[in-house]
Formats: sequence, C-alpha cells, structure tokens
Amino acid sequence: MISVFKNSKVAGFTLTVVALSVQAASVPQQINIKQYKTVEDVVVPLPGEVFSALNKLGPVNWKEYVRTEKSANFSERPRTALLLGNVIADGFIAVQAQDAPAVKEIGQRVLTLAKAIGVGASITPHAKAITEAADKRKWENVRHELDRTQNSVQQAMDELQDQKLSQLVSLGGWLRGTQILTAVVDRHFTPEGAELLHQPDLLRYFGDRLTGMPEYNVPVVQSIKQALGEVRPLIDTGGKPITPAAVKTINAITTRLDGEIVTR
Amino acid sequence: MNSRYRVAFILTGASVLAGIAVFASVDDAQSFALQAAEPYVREGFQVREDYWGGDLAAGEKKAVRQQLFKGNEYWFWMGTEVNRARISVHIYDKDGKLVEQPDSWQKGHFAAAHVVPTSTDSYYIIVAIEESPEERTHWALVYGFR
Repeated sequence: MISVFKNSKVAGFTLTVVALSVQAASVPQQINIKQYKTVEDVVVPLPGEVFSALNKLGPVNWKEYVRTEKSANFSERPRTALLLGNVIADGFIAVQAQDAPAVKEIGQRVLTLAKAIGVGASITPHAKAITEAADKRKWENVRHELDRTQNSVQQAMDELQDQKLSQLVSLGGWLRGTQILTAVVDRHFTPEGAELLHQPDLLRYFGDRLTGMPEYNVPVVQSIKQALGEVRPLIDTGGKPITPAAVKTINAITTRLDGEIVTR
Repeated sequence: MNSRYRVAFILTGASVLAGIAVFASVDDAQSFALQAAEPYVREGFQVREDYWGGDLAAGEKKAVRQQLFKGNEYWFWMGTEVNRARISVHIYDKDGKLVEQPDSWQKGHFAAAHVVPTSTDSYYIIVAIEESPEERTHWALVYGFR
C-alpha cells in the first residue's frame, strides 16, 4: 500500500514535471515585440509602486515628505486634474509615513477637488473609506482605497469623454512621485535608487499625450511639456547609470513643476 | 413615433445593449482574473484596482507595455469567463527575451506570470487566447506587486 502510494506520488510528480516542461518548451524564449499590437501605449504605475521599490533600498523618513497644506483652487479643469493627481500621490506618501491625520485631510482634499471637476459622486464612498481605514491604522486598506479613488476618478472622466483630463491626473501623480523619488535618492545617492528613474517610455508617453492637448493652453501644461524634454536625456542614458547630478537636476525640475501645479 | 425614428431608436437601443454586453463580459473576465489573484493577496501582493482587457480570436495575441521597477516583484493574472477557453500570459523585456519566473502557470481559463525585474524598464506582457469555442473571447489582465 505504501509502495503504491509512493509510486503514485512519483508518477504524479513526473507528470507534473512533464506538463510543466511541455508548457515551458512551448513558450518562445525570444520574440519580436514589434509584431504585437499593444492594448495601451504604456501602463502608468501608481506612486505606491515606485515607493515600494524605494523602501527596499533602505529606510526612508517618509514623514519628512508628508504635505497637507491646502493648495489653491483653480477654475481651469486641466489645472484641477493635475492637482488631483498630485494630491492623490500625497496620499500615498502619507500612507508610507503612516500619518493618519494627514491621510484623512488628504482624503477630504481629494473629494473637494473631485467635486470641483465634476466627478465627486464617484469619490464620496472612497473618501469615507479612507477616513475609516486611517482611523483604524489599516494602511493596506488606505493604500487600496487611494488606488480605487484614482481609478474611479479616471473612470468617471472617461465616461464623461474627458480622457485627456484623466491623463493629466496620471501625470500629476507621476510628477509628484518623481519629485519625491529624486528627493530621497538625492539625499542618500545609490545607483540602484537612481535606476528607478529609468522610465523613458513613460516620459515619451506623457509628452505625446500633452502634444495631443492643444486646447489646454495653460502655462503649467506648457511648462511640463518643456520640462519632459529636459528630463528625457537625463534618464534615457543608453544603458549608462543615471548620475547623482542628473538626479539633482530632475528633482529641481519636478520641484519647480510641483510649485506651478499647487500654487496660483 | 414615425417608423424611421422607431428604427433609429431600436438600433440605438440595440447598440447600447451590445455595448453593455461587451463591458459585462470583460467585467466577468476581470472577476476571474481577480479570482486567480486571491491567493497571492494573502502573500502580501497589492493588486492594482485598474485592469486591461478586450476580446481576441483564438490564436490571437496582444501586448500590454508596462513600466516595472527593480526591487519589486510582480504577478500578472489573466482570466476569461469562457470556461472551455485556454489562455496564456507571458512576460518579455523590451528586447523580446522571456523574463518570467518558472512558477508562472496556465490552467484553462486562468493564467498567471511572475516576474522579478532585473532592471527598471518597460516590459511587455503578452496575452493570448490559445483555444476557445467562441469566435471572440473576452479577457482581462490584473497585476499585483510587493
């Protein structure tokens, strides 16, 4: 009985290995990626993704980067969209810092901005959930609700045929995330930290999207477009490491843009 | 309502319903993709709320280009609501080299691919409907990281 059991286990294991091998063998090891149509140009990561990678390189004093002061309100929708993305990114920073009062304040700020841009209804339940999770110090839930918030804002904008505003929300979040990434790496430079800036396709993606928004002729959008052109050669280094000087310059550029996004 | 308006009304209604049906199916596919992700959430993977999807014919493939960060670990989960379909998902770097971990798997109308990026860069997630009884098969892709 034991030997039968043993044999059937061995047979099962062999079958599994064979099955896995067949699967592995049928997967091409090399493909020509140009032959595939892409579903989306490039998927924009959440600020939390880059912060997660940054955390693994060493301790970060996230409290230093928490921001809760209220920024200006704008009547121009593209400015509000950029600010909304920026404030959601601030929410991810506050989660990293495990700062409950900041998270709650940011949740309310997100709601106000979402209402200002006409998508408040879809955000109200998330703002409530953010507050509740922050009160209970359930940081994973807060992070998830921030993700849901950004997704709901963008879905609501897409439904209103405001895809361009939706892209500006992503851009606002990416710029704030990049500002913090460069600030952290500049403080304690490591080549691994600098490598996290290697995002040339995202830069090209945002540049192309901004070129497709001639109707949003507000100074901050023009500044960002120009700045992306300045940043590109610093991160698209053709395989060479990104230098400390490049990190510092990108931080200066993104800090300047952040100022333009949050102030009138 | 005169007959021309009635036809226009019916056609508009049919288009709306067809649209709803398409979304409902991709949403169904997403729920299967999330089902595949469930065990990994317990292992600390944060599953992103957003998802990518559409419909493909059997044998057809598509790519999702994605920025991944060295230091993070990623799983991509794919699902379809078509029970008898066989689907696959694989991960390649920008030079077209397969970079997924050997524990990536494929089981009927679920598939998953695991990658630990060795560099911060763009990667290509190739989704495919290998076999399906349907002419077009809805699919959805979600991902998580830790």
